[in-house]
Amino acid sequence: MKKLLKHISPIAPDDSGACSVLYEMGGITVICDAGGCAGNVCGFDEPRWFEKRSALFSAGLRDMDAILGRDELLIKKLALICKQVDARFTAIVGTPVPAVIATDMRALEKMAEKKTDLPGIALPTDGTRLYDYGEEMAYLKLFERFAVEKLPVKKGLVGVLGATPLNTGETGSDRIKKELSADENEEIVCFGMDSGIDDVIRASEFEKIIVIAPSGLAAAKYLNKKFGIPYEVRGCCINDDVSCKADKLVGKKILIIHHQFTANAVRDRLKGCDVVCASWFRMIPSLKKENDIHIKEEQQLAELAKDGGFDVIIADSFFKRAMKDFKGQWIDLPHFAVSGRLNKDL
Amino acid sequence: MTDAYYITAAELAKTGIDDLPTELNSAKHMIYSSPATLDFNSPGARGFGVKRAGLAIPGSVMLLIAPGCCGRNTALLNELGYSERFFYLMLDDTDIVTGRYISKIPKACAELLEELDEKPSVVMLCVTCVDALLGTDMERVCRACEEETGVRTAPAYMYALTREKRLPPMGLVRKSVYSLLEPQKRRSNECAVMGYFSALEDGCELYDMLKAIGIKKVHELGRCKTFEEYKDISRANFSLVLNSEARAAAQDMQSRLGIPFIELTRVYRLSKIHNQYMLLGQAIGSEFDDSEYYRRAEKSVNDFKEKYSDTVFAIGESLNADSFELALALTEYGFKVAEIYGTVGERNFVFVKKLAEVSPETRIYSNLSPTMMNYIPMSGVTAAIGADAVYYHKDCAGVCFNEEEQPFGYRGVELLFEKLTKALNDREESVL
Repeated sequence: MKKLLKHISPIAPDDSGACSVLYEMGGITVICDAGGCAGNVCGFDEPRWFEKRSALFSAGLRDMDAILGRDELLIKKLALICKQVDARFTAIVGTPVPAVIATDMRALEKMAEKKTDLPGIALPTDGTRLYDYGEEMAYLKLFERFAVEKLPVKKGLVGVLGATPLNTGETGSDRIKKELSADENEEIVCFGMDSGIDDVIRASEFEKIIVIAPSGLAAAKYLNKKFGIPYEVRGCCINDDVSCKADKLVGKKILIIHHQFTANAVRDRLKGCDVVCASWFRMIPSLKKENDIHIKEEQQLAELAKDGGFDVIIADSFFKRAMKDFKGQWIDLPHFAVSGRLNKDL
Repeated sequence: MTDAYYITAAELAKTGIDDLPTELNSAKHMIYSSPATLDFNSPGARGFGVKRAGLAIPGSVMLLIAPGCCGRNTALLNELGYSERFFYLMLDDTDIVTGRYISKIPKACAELLEELDEKPSVVMLCVTCVDALLGTDMERVCRACEEETGVRTAPAYMYALTREKRLPPMGLVRKSVYSLLEPQKRRSNECAVMGYFSALEDGCELYDMLKAIGIKKVHELGRCKTFEEYKDISRANFSLVLNSEARAAAQDMQSRLGIPFIELTRVYRLSKIHNQYMLLGQAIGSEFDDSEYYRRAEKSVNDFKEKYSDTVFAIGESLNADSFELALALTEYGFKVAEIYGTVGERNFVFVKKLAEVSPETRIYSNLSPTMMNYIPMSGVTAAIGADAVYYHKDCAGVCFNEEEQPFGYRGVELLFEKLTKALNDREESVL
């Protein structure tokens, strides 16, 4: 049956992705839920929750709030919190509850701005899609809303899109900057990781954007169109153990599962191998090779394991349960959005 | 930026339960999922939330029917060995608007059963806010699943939207996990202990005291290893309900199975523990001799007091106690309680009022208040009890006191002071 998971548990959802992008931006983020979704974000999908403080809250909706559509109460609570916590903007993140009752998120955005005197955004995530969808929506919305002024370009200033723990398994930007740095004169800024809304506002100053995950591509294209900033696509944060093992593989048939940019980066290291990249997440057609696979159902994993003829699988070991028939070599390539494992956990 | 909100016990007692300050009323403000309280706010993270609780029946499996976001943190339960027992029917946006997925549930059950080596005792269908809002008739869905598969099926309602209702999700799930019990001949020398999903701590005096009055078998869900043992629970002559969240389940057992119940409360004041046992004895027509247990618990309090009489406590709510009752107990034993992080409600306001008389300056914070983002630990606290208090007071001696095996009665008091003694000893040694 489609959408039945018998071996793996759910992958990070869109609301977690949106919160991940917003986490360090300096706004007040309200997850429009009863408490459980916020618990999932804070307790599982946001590893920075225990390291870096963020004004991330649950709306604490109750059944009658939802049934009666008490948007005014939500905005009243938001206005109260704006008096208690310093913030530059407000963001309301959707969950299944507002989706079921068809909350007008655009109206919430306007009501919030009027009541709080702060810029507001609302993101109509609904918890049914995957994290990359929420990340893409959040990046795009932030740049559309806040990157408005055209400023002189600063030479050597490089922005990174896609730098979230869900994509990279990192909670800080040090490793990403180190990997992406081309020369010491460059100043690298990872939007939303060790950087806040000010860097979004001054986006037009950036000389170049590096996109390290598919979720950042739409925002990069937007900045390219609006300010003419060039962008390039790169994978990063592949742990040393994987790199070391991958470098030794020759003449093998290999399956790599991750988000597309990391999977492609691993493929680029492999010499003389027949490689297929697969991903549960959005795949950019121009970056796909002919046999690459977009995974939509758990069953596909079992079929790839049984019938794919692969000698090696490079993927998060979380997927092993769904690929029991695979008898070859498995190289563990963690993906936080899948298993909740950080690079430092290895 | 506002400082973390608090109110003293005296001020709160004066305000009254009907006029709680906004910051103590979670319906009036946004909810802060403090890192200190994630176990409490997101029970899926640790401890028993609806999902894990729904699997308390031996041999059961669960099908979570929800958008992906609701099942995300279930991955944490894999570490506890539940990975073979969870299945997910993921809903998309059309599903949650139209409810079309409901007709697929019986087929999903049949398909997951094909994956299992053994037939499960029951398939628990866990549903979330989506079905709360759509008003899904889960009893009917369960019947349809049983017809399709021939396996018992029961609902587990993970309705976060109804957390503050008369029958909240953790009450409903208790009712569900006892709902498969069937009437059978009751035995006068057997009883059931209800309230927790894990068993009482092995050394709890309740076992010995029940044995002393002729009870040969104490049934507890947390000790059932097989479905047969689970079914034996309905042989109980009476039930002891140790947690009010199990009241609805006990009422259901009383009406369906004819098993009457008596409620006891977990308290840490020795005099109240004694009173409860005396009243229990009267209710079941027996007399309990609790003197030895009382003496031992009293000794543990006195031994601690002798060594650490000047201890100043901070007490949280992620622990096996009512924060306010525990604060009252410690105050009555002669200690100082500087801070409590707790949720004030009708049930525990009586303790707040008593606390106001003996410790009026005790500060009461709400973990759920957004202002707790700005909390700075109060100086002078020397020991923290509860996972949240330990988180806030990292530099103090700390006892989480939130273990799965449940403390109760005099043994609970002994365990607490044993752990406190060890924590303060360790702290002293680390400073030296």
